[in-house]
Amino acid sequence: MSAVRLLARRELQDSVRTYWFLVYSGVFVVGGLLLMVLGGAQSTVLGYRGFARAIAGLMHLALFVVPLMALFPAASALAGEREVGTLDYLMAQPVTRRQIFAGKWLGVWGAVVLALAVGFGSTGFVATLRGVSPALVLGLFVFTVLLATAFASLGLLLSAASPSARRANSIGITVWLVFLTLGSLGVMSAFIRWGLPEWVLTGWALLNPIEACRLAVLPLLDSDANLLGPVGAALFASLGRGGLIAAATASLLGWTALGLLAGSRLFQNEER
Amino acid sequence: MITARSLTKRYGEHVVLDSLDMDVPRGQRVALLGLNGAGKTTLLRCLLGLSRFDGSLTLDGLAAGSGSEGRSVRAQVGYVPQQPPRYDFRLSEFVEFFCRIRGCPAAGAERILEDLGLSLATDGGKKLRELSGGMLQKALLAVAMGSGAPVLLLDEPTASLDPSARRDFLNAVRTAPSDLTLLFASHRLDDVEALADRAIILEAGKFAFDGSLEELWRRTGVERLARSDGSDAPPVLEDILARIIRDAEPGRDTEPPAEIENFDPGPRLYVENDK
Repeated sequence: MSAVRLLARRELQDSVRTYWFLVYSGVFVVGGLLLMVLGGAQSTVLGYRGFARAIAGLMHLALFVVPLMALFPAASALAGEREVGTLDYLMAQPVTRRQIFAGKWLGVWGAVVLALAVGFGSTGFVATLRGVSPALVLGLFVFTVLLATAFASLGLLLSAASPSARRANSIGITVWLVFLTLGSLGVMSAFIRWGLPEWVLTGWALLNPIEACRLAVLPLLDSDANLLGPVGAALFASLGRGGLIAAATASLLGWTALGLLAGSRLFQNEER
Repeated sequence: MITARSLTKRYGEHVVLDSLDMDVPRGQRVALLGLNGAGKTTLLRCLLGLSRFDGSLTLDGLAAGSGSEGRSVRAQVGYVPQQPPRYDFRLSEFVEFFCRIRGCPAAGAERILEDLGLSLATDGGKKLRELSGGMLQKALLAVAMGSGAPVLLLDEPTASLDPSARRDFLNAVRTAPSDLTLLFASHRLDDVEALADRAIILEAGKFAFDGSLEELWRRTGVERLARSDGSDAPPVLEDILARIIRDAEPGRDTEPPAEIENFDPGPRLYVENDK
């Protein structure tokens, strides 16, 4: 077995053993099923759209929780080992720093995807039983995974740059809060207050990974773009459904690439 | 085998290793001595690719560093750090994981563990944090030697061991194959005597002494009274370091540093020559 696979497997095992894995999986299972029950009640009035709104609710839960779910274990992955002195011992073995970085990332990413699969799997199963398209559930899962991937990469970048897990997690929470609070509504307030040009608003919406994920997913749920909000609706009108999904996907992949490239470079060039 | 040329390590303005040249042939057992901060650990870290440096440091022609060539160097080096890493592993998981990382079966490490009085059958389920410092050092040594690496780096490995654990540890290293190259940092003269056939004393980033143990005793005017391995005798190394350092730097204040002056060596294993 290659060093990367060994390291990834160990990271995955360590992550799955921790309480956060159970907590996040539980949040998704309970939250998702609760939303399905509520959606089911609405469906007697609204039909299929009731379940679609329940799925949209699940998506908003994911937008809130998934970034944290990926950030915390990733931010602790290198910095935590550095803090307790185990990273030096690992780096004294016949592995390169690039392999350590890749193994850590794969392990954290695998654990997050596993937690999402458990949460989304149970909810998605109920949703498909009630008539929601499996393709829709799969689409939601894929974009949630892309969001988790971006934040896992950013988390590992913070981990490579921080001397301790606490520092990395503190910066991670700040990053998460910035992206969360400066969603389309936050930027729209600034837009109105300071009269910012429209491209700032739409550009930020696409650059913000949480907002980008929302913009990619909601057109899958609602072809009329009613759930997108004003900024999303403007982007939808200018880019079209496919263009909006493609741009949002590119944003998420871009954050992933930024986190991985910058983090890997930082870790390799770290002076010790 | 291990070759250093103009090896220099700086932390900002502070020069820790100052343009060192060194050759360590295969099978030689070298003790790195020096006061705290002399650069012993840094030299080991450079060879492991944990610290960057200027100049060259090679093992069998392969350059030490953090990249893929450095990985080839580390594949030939077993390492026991001064502070055992506190992994959240069970002992058996630790041995298995690091043997796999090193690309070797765990059987060799298990055998050495048993020689050291630890058994995976009985102790393998214990968490590393439940083990004593001595047991952890034994596990580290087993992984380092079990892979059959031709070079062993030990960084003050017996500093936290009780007499019994120290005796087992030293025995395991001493009975290793004769072609094993050993480079170890130590503050204990009895460890040096038990393991080394060459001593290097580092002072202010330079070699204040580099020669055989006999030469060291002669230069410092002490001779051995009794073999010390297995005992828990306090070290008297600081006296020797002070003498070597004063000889190496005649212009320097001849008073030993305060930490040496105030050091109580306890009952001595060594006495001054009559010459």
